[in-house]
Amino acid sequence: MTLPPVARAILREPLTQFLLIGLVLFAVASVARDLRRPVVRIDEAELHQLVAYWEAQAQRPPTPDELRAMLSERIDEELLAREAVRLGLDREDLIIRRRLAQKMAFASEDLEPVPEPSEADLRAWYATHGMDHVAPATATFRHVFFSSDIQGAEARARAALSLPRPAEAGQPFVLPLSYSGVAVRDIERDYGPAFSRRVETAPEGQWIGPVKSAYGWHILRVERRVLAAAMPFESVRSDLADAWKADRRTQANQAFIRKLRARYRVEVAGMATPLAP
Amino acid sequence: MRVNGNLAVSAIAGVSLAVIAVALSVSGPAAVASSPKTPVAAHTSGYNPERNAYFGDLHVHTKLSFDAYIFNVRASPDDAYRFAKGERIGHASGFDIRLAGGPLDFAAVTDHSEFIGAMEQANTPGTAISKVPGVSALFSSDPVEIGKAFAKFLGTMRDDSTPKAFKDPAIHARAWKEIREAAARNYAPGRFTTFVGYEFTSAPDGRNLHRNVIFKSADVPDLPYSSRESADPEELWKRMETWRAKGVEALAIPHNSNGSDGTMFETTRFNGAPMDRVYADLRRRNEPLVEITQIKGTSETHPSLSPNDEWAGFEIFETYIGSNKPVTKFAGGYVRDALKTGLLLQEKKGFNPYRLGFIGSSDTHNAAPGSVEERNYVSKVGRSDGLPVLRGSVPPGGARTWNPPPTDPPKFQNWGASGLAGVWAEENTRESIYDALRRRETFATSGPRMRVRFFASYDFPSDLLTRSDTVRQAYAHGVPMGGDLMTSRGKAPSFLVWGLRDPNGGYLQRAQIVKGWIENGVAREKVYDVACSDGLAVNAKTGRCPDNGATVDLATCAPSRFQGDVELRTVWTDPNFDARQRAFYYVRVLENPSCRWSTWDALRNGTPPNPALSPTVMERAWSSPIWYDPKA
Repeated sequence: MTLPPVARAILREPLTQFLLIGLVLFAVASVARDLRRPVVRIDEAELHQLVAYWEAQAQRPPTPDELRAMLSERIDEELLAREAVRLGLDREDLIIRRRLAQKMAFASEDLEPVPEPSEADLRAWYATHGMDHVAPATATFRHVFFSSDIQGAEARARAALSLPRPAEAGQPFVLPLSYSGVAVRDIERDYGPAFSRRVETAPEGQWIGPVKSAYGWHILRVERRVLAAAMPFESVRSDLADAWKADRRTQANQAFIRKLRARYRVEVAGMATPLAP
Repeated sequence: MRVNGNLAVSAIAGVSLAVIAVALSVSGPAAVASSPKTPVAAHTSGYNPERNAYFGDLHVHTKLSFDAYIFNVRASPDDAYRFAKGERIGHASGFDIRLAGGPLDFAAVTDHSEFIGAMEQANTPGTAISKVPGVSALFSSDPVEIGKAFAKFLGTMRDDSTPKAFKDPAIHARAWKEIREAAARNYAPGRFTTFVGYEFTSAPDGRNLHRNVIFKSADVPDLPYSSRESADPEELWKRMETWRAKGVEALAIPHNSNGSDGTMFETTRFNGAPMDRVYADLRRRNEPLVEITQIKGTSETHPSLSPNDEWAGFEIFETYIGSNKPVTKFAGGYVRDALKTGLLLQEKKGFNPYRLGFIGSSDTHNAAPGSVEERNYVSKVGRSDGLPVLRGSVPPGGARTWNPPPTDPPKFQNWGASGLAGVWAEENTRESIYDALRRRETFATSGPRMRVRFFASYDFPSDLLTRSDTVRQAYAHGVPMGGDLMTSRGKAPSFLVWGLRDPNGGYLQRAQIVKGWIENGVAREKVYDVACSDGLAVNAKTGRCPDNGATVDLATCAPSRFQGDVELRTVWTDPNFDARQRAFYYVRVLENPSCRWSTWDALRNGTPPNPALSPTVMERAWSSPIWYDPKA
């Protein structure tokens, strides 16, 4: 290849050579800069997912135009989100903070699944927490009712105590006149606390009273009482397992938080030891 | 003695056969006897052959209901049962709530089966459903945006365009499992009974046809049959029949007929076809009960339907459910009217689809069964009405007076603190309580735990009221609430009415019998006062108890003292009985007036009660009816 003499003269000019070198350097720098630009990439999986959600809503595949619009929206969202993160807009946002904390809490639970308790675990739990699973206090008793709708109910109740057969005095009642093994707390709910306290304290096998309730006056005779007691191990096995697992989960969560606290220094304005109990 | 046949009839040996109870006159799954069960197997400690009253709530929503979740309710089915057992749970508005009147005896979580559990999934980061466009707005920090997004969501429910992700059966199955497990975990025979259940949420054109489905045992279908499959309740009953054929027993309880615009108790089928005996039997077999009262109003009767009933206007709610659209048709939407329609159908066509026993329930969306206590009321839709100012009981904007006067359309302020279910059952177990529901030995209350007994007979012993075994005699000689009287041989029936106050509530003012009957082809009704408090007697001229003078001090909500009775007890004989007239009878027991929840809210706020609302209510209980059929 031969160049005309003018061209050769121009090429030999130092200014030309300077400009050419500059041009090459500019091109290289541009390419390099371009390579450094952050990439927003919608990969195939996400593309499929986008289309799938669209189809779920519209019950048909999107047209090319709709796909373009969807993509444009998705890309804009990504750009805005990234720019927001770059500018630190996520940092002071309550909703984002809560959502992230929630995600992390879920993630930490998934990292360490709680195992099933062993027999020994359950026995140990029962030994320390048996009183969480209690058969309530019960009583077996009879009572005689004198409605406060009728004058002198208290006096008639008192008089009935000295009858040879007190149980035959009194009136019919909507609630039972005799109870067998009824939970004392149900008696408190249905008759009031004054009445249920007497059921809990009356000497056994003896008519006592008069006792006031929400309905009037009563005399009562407690035959038998059973104090509240822990339920037998076998009858609460699954409750124990649930409680044990819930406890483990709480412990694991607390341990995770403790680990985190060890990794950070926490400062609160005006407090020397903000995490002290 | 039990006579079996197409009619499951049982009579009590050794007494007059003039009175026998016809249980379900269709061959239902539970042939039900009217006499108390003979104790055979091991019973729980509270077992009482003369039956105990148990109180419960069969209409309870938790976070698994799509609407409750949007109302910021996060309480689970387990929480709902804990609340029913008297424990403290968190409310959507950030405070704790607890029953003041002590634990309930039974409860059923009945979440909306439509999109059950889906909202919780939609608000869980990373799930497919959370990524559906528009979903995130449902969980915005801006309540206005939530409102808009939820209105849009409800719109998609109406035209069935809800995003597919909400319809994922795997999500529904997970929620259904949580419900079943919570029911199993919290069931303690003898102490607390749970039922697996759900709500069938059908409302074509906004007309409320909702039902709660209650299962007898832990044997339940893999998934509920929801109104997304069909809005026609007849299809639900057919599905219940196929379940029953596989040993899965359930009943459906319609509610808020007041919001059905006259469509709940029509005389035609849903598809417009005329009713026939097959339809009536199908309906009765599956719907022995109706929820007569709940927070969104009481559906016993409407003042326009019962102009001669001075107590008809109790907690009436006259708009469609979830909108301001006014109800225009009251007939077909109220229970007393439905019972009369049933008598007419029986008279003219030979079948009665509307032999309905009564229960009340709350419809709480706060996972708070039994939260219908006037002085301890938080309404029922979470964050939307959790504070007095949101439910219209205190002046808006922190004002101290109602100036200008309130002009709000009917909404939360018109809802009532109402709805408990009462049953008479031998013991607190699923079997015993379910059997009571089946035989309609049930009653409803507007919240208080009032007990009401009701029996009918032609030959009660004359000393029935004074002997010590009144209830045993009543069972032996009569039929209890929910039952049927035998044909009269000329004698008028007598009714034992016995009400007992709530130990934590007010005193009783009067007991009434509501009678409906057919006379010359026309359905009639009449309210009889049958027992008065304070030693007063029914005025023969007016048929009413004289005013007992009970009042409430609105400054303190304290009732006047020494008025009202602990119990009201009488035997009443129908003075207008005609053995040829078909009839039903039910009891209504009224308390003295007491402060309405809105007045309690105002009192605590130190402001006057909302002048647009009644400051007081008369709490009440309704027994299931007893029916009388003349010889065909």
